[in-house]
Amino acid sequence: MVNYLIVLFAITLMYFSSADRLITYVKLIAMQGLLLCGIAIFELKEVNTANLLFIVAETLIFKTILLPYLLNRIIRRSGVTKVHRLAMPGFYLLIFSIFGLLISVILANILVNPFINTIYLAIALFTLVTGLLLIVTHKLIISHLIGFLIIENAVFMFSLAAGNEMPMLINVGILLDIFVGVLILGFFGLRLKPHTNELAMLKD
Amino acid sequence: MAILLFFVISVLLSISAVLFRNRTVTRIITLAFALVLILFTVYSWTRLNQTDLTYFTYDSTGVLLLTVLAILTLPTVYHGFIYTSGDTDKRYNIYHAGLIALMTFMAGAYLANTMTVLWIFVEATTLAVAVLIYHDRTEMSLEATWKYVFICSTGIALAYLGILFLGFIYGRGDAPNLSFSSFSLIISNASPLYLKISFIFVLVGFSTKMGLFPMHTVTIDAHSVAPPPVSALISTTLMNVGFLAIFRVYKLFASTSVLPFMNHVLMLAGLLSLLISAGYMLKAKHLKRMLAYSSLENMGLVAIALGAGGAGYYAALLLIVMHSFAKSSLFYQMGQLSRVLHTFKLDDCGRYMKLYPAGAMVLLTGMICILAIPPSGLFISELMIFRGLVANGQWFVLIASVILLSFVIYAMSTRIMHITFSDPRDESKVQQPGAVNPVETVSQFMLLAIVILLCFYQPPFLVEMINQGIAIIPR
Repeated sequence: MVNYLIVLFAITLMYFSSADRLITYVKLIAMQGLLLCGIAIFELKEVNTANLLFIVAETLIFKTILLPYLLNRIIRRSGVTKVHRLAMPGFYLLIFSIFGLLISVILANILVNPFINTIYLAIALFTLVTGLLLIVTHKLIISHLIGFLIIENAVFMFSLAAGNEMPMLINVGILLDIFVGVLILGFFGLRLKPHTNELAMLKD
Repeated sequence: MAILLFFVISVLLSISAVLFRNRTVTRIITLAFALVLILFTVYSWTRLNQTDLTYFTYDSTGVLLLTVLAILTLPTVYHGFIYTSGDTDKRYNIYHAGLIALMTFMAGAYLANTMTVLWIFVEATTLAVAVLIYHDRTEMSLEATWKYVFICSTGIALAYLGILFLGFIYGRGDAPNLSFSSFSLIISNASPLYLKISFIFVLVGFSTKMGLFPMHTVTIDAHSVAPPPVSALISTTLMNVGFLAIFRVYKLFASTSVLPFMNHVLMLAGLLSLLISAGYMLKAKHLKRMLAYSSLENMGLVAIALGAGGAGYYAALLLIVMHSFAKSSLFYQMGQLSRVLHTFKLDDCGRYMKLYPAGAMVLLTGMICILAIPPSGLFISELMIFRGLVANGQWFVLIASVILLSFVIYAMSTRIMHITFSDPRDESKVQQPGAVNPVETVSQFMLLAIVILLCFYQPPFLVEMINQGIAIIPR
C-alpha cells in the first residue's frame, strides 16, 4: 500500500512540471499533504501512538488544509492565475523533471543503506530536485513559495524514510513546517503587495 | 543549569521589552540583558569543556565566539538606542525585544553540542533577524525580509537534509541527540559517500548564515535595509554562527577519508566568493552593499583558510574574530554616516572628512583594518593563509586570491576615499548635512584598536583558545 502512495506522490511531482494554473499547484500541494499523511500512517508502525497522532495531525492540518488555504488567499489577492508567462515552458520543465527522476533513482541505488528504504530515498531526492527546479525556472513569488513547500515535503519524506528508528527527526522536520507555514505564507505572503509578482527593488 | 537560567532570564527580558510600553523600562531591560550576557560569558570561561543541560558544551571555539558576541553587545545596544530614538514606542520595544532574542539564540547556537539543537537555534535566529530587518516597515524592508526568510528557510531545509544523512550513517533512534564528540567516535565506520553528501548539504544550507557562495545573496539584500547595528550583527556574530555550524561538521569529518574532498569544496566556495565579491564591489553604488560584499570576501578567505589546512585553521579562527570587530565598527559608523549625509548611495556621498571628521577617521581606519593592510590584525591572518597555500603548493588558489583581493582593495579604497575627501557627484541631490556628536564613535575606535593591537600582540589566552579549537583536526 505504501508503495502505491509513494508512486502517486511521484506522479503529483510530474504533474507540477506540466501544470499551467496556480490553482492546480495548490491542489497538488494539498494532495501531497494527504499522501504524506497516508504514508506516515502505514509506515510508522513502530513509533508510539502520541507521536504518530502528532505527525498525522500536522500533515492533515498544516500540509493538507492550512498551507493550501493560505496559498489560495495569496493567489486571489495577486490576481495571477497562470505561471508560464514568467517561467520556462512546461514541456522543457517536464523533460528536466524526467531527467531528475532518472538521476534520483540512480543515486538512491548508489546510496543503498540498511537503515533506509531505497524507494523513499529515490522519491525524496526527486521531490527535492522538483522543488529546486520550480524555484530556479520560475520567476513568480508564488511559484517560489510552492517550490519551497515541495522541498519541505522532500525533507518530510526523507525523515519518514528513517522514521521508525528516528522519530525525533520527524518532529524536528515538523517544527520547520510550522515555522515556514506560519511565517512565510501567513505573514509575508499576505503582506506582499497584491500586484507584486517579482521582487526587484533591491539589486546592484 | 546556568545556561537554563540564562535562557529563562533572556526570554523573560525579551517578552518584558514588548509588554512594558515604556522606553525607559525597555532601555533598562536591554542593558540588563547585556549585563546578563556578559556575566554568562565570564561564567562560560570558568566552565571550559564542561557540558551543561546535556545539549550544551562550553567548548573553546563556542566560548571564543560567545566572547566576541559579548564584546559587541554593549556597542550594539548603544547604537541601537540611538538608531531607534525617533521610532514609535511600539517599534522601539519590538526592536529591542528582537535584539535580545537574536543574541540569546546566537549564544545558544555557539554552545550547542548536537547538530539538531544547533540547527534549531540557527532557525530561531532567522525568526529574530526577520523582525529586525523589517524594522523600518518600508516596501524595501519587506522585500529584504521576505528574501532573507525565504532563502534562509530553503538553506535551513537543505542543512536539515545534511543532518538526516548524518542520521542515516548511524541509523539509531538517538542519532540526532548524539553530541559532536560522541559522533566523532563512530564516524570512522561511516560510508564516505554519505559523509560527502552530508557535508555538501550542510555547507550549502548553513552558508545562508555564513554568507558564503552560493547562498550569499541573502545577506547582501538584508544589509541594504537593515538598521546599521543589526547589519553589524548579521555581518559578524550571525555569520560566525554559520561558520561554526560548518566548522563543527568539518572537524567531525576531518578524521575520515573525505578530508581532501571537503578541502577542495571549501577552496572552490572560497574562490567563487572572492570572485563574486570582487566583481560586485567594482560596480558597487550602495555603501552598505559594498560592506556586505566585503563580508562575503572575508568569509571566502575563511573557507580558503580551512581548505588550506595546517596554519590555515588558526588563521581562519583568527580572521573570524578580527573581522567581527572591524566590520561591526564600520557598520556602526554607517548609522552616523546616514544621519550626516542622509544616504548610502555612493554618488550622493562626499566631503565626509569636512562634515564629520571623527566618523571619517573611523571609515579610513576601518578600511585599512578590513582590507588587511598593516597594521591591521587581519594582515597576520591573510599572511598565514598565503603561507599555508605556499606550503601546500596550491599556487593557482594563491595567485587567484591575490588578484581578486587586489580588485577588492582597489574598489573599496577608491569608494571610501571618494566619500571622505571628494565632492558628491550629483550636488543637486545633496541634503543639508546633519550634526552628530563625535563621542558616538568611541566604541568604534575601541574595536578597531583591538584589531590593530592583535597585529602586534596576540594574548596567550586567545592563542590557547584557538589552538584548543583546532587541536583534533589532522594537519
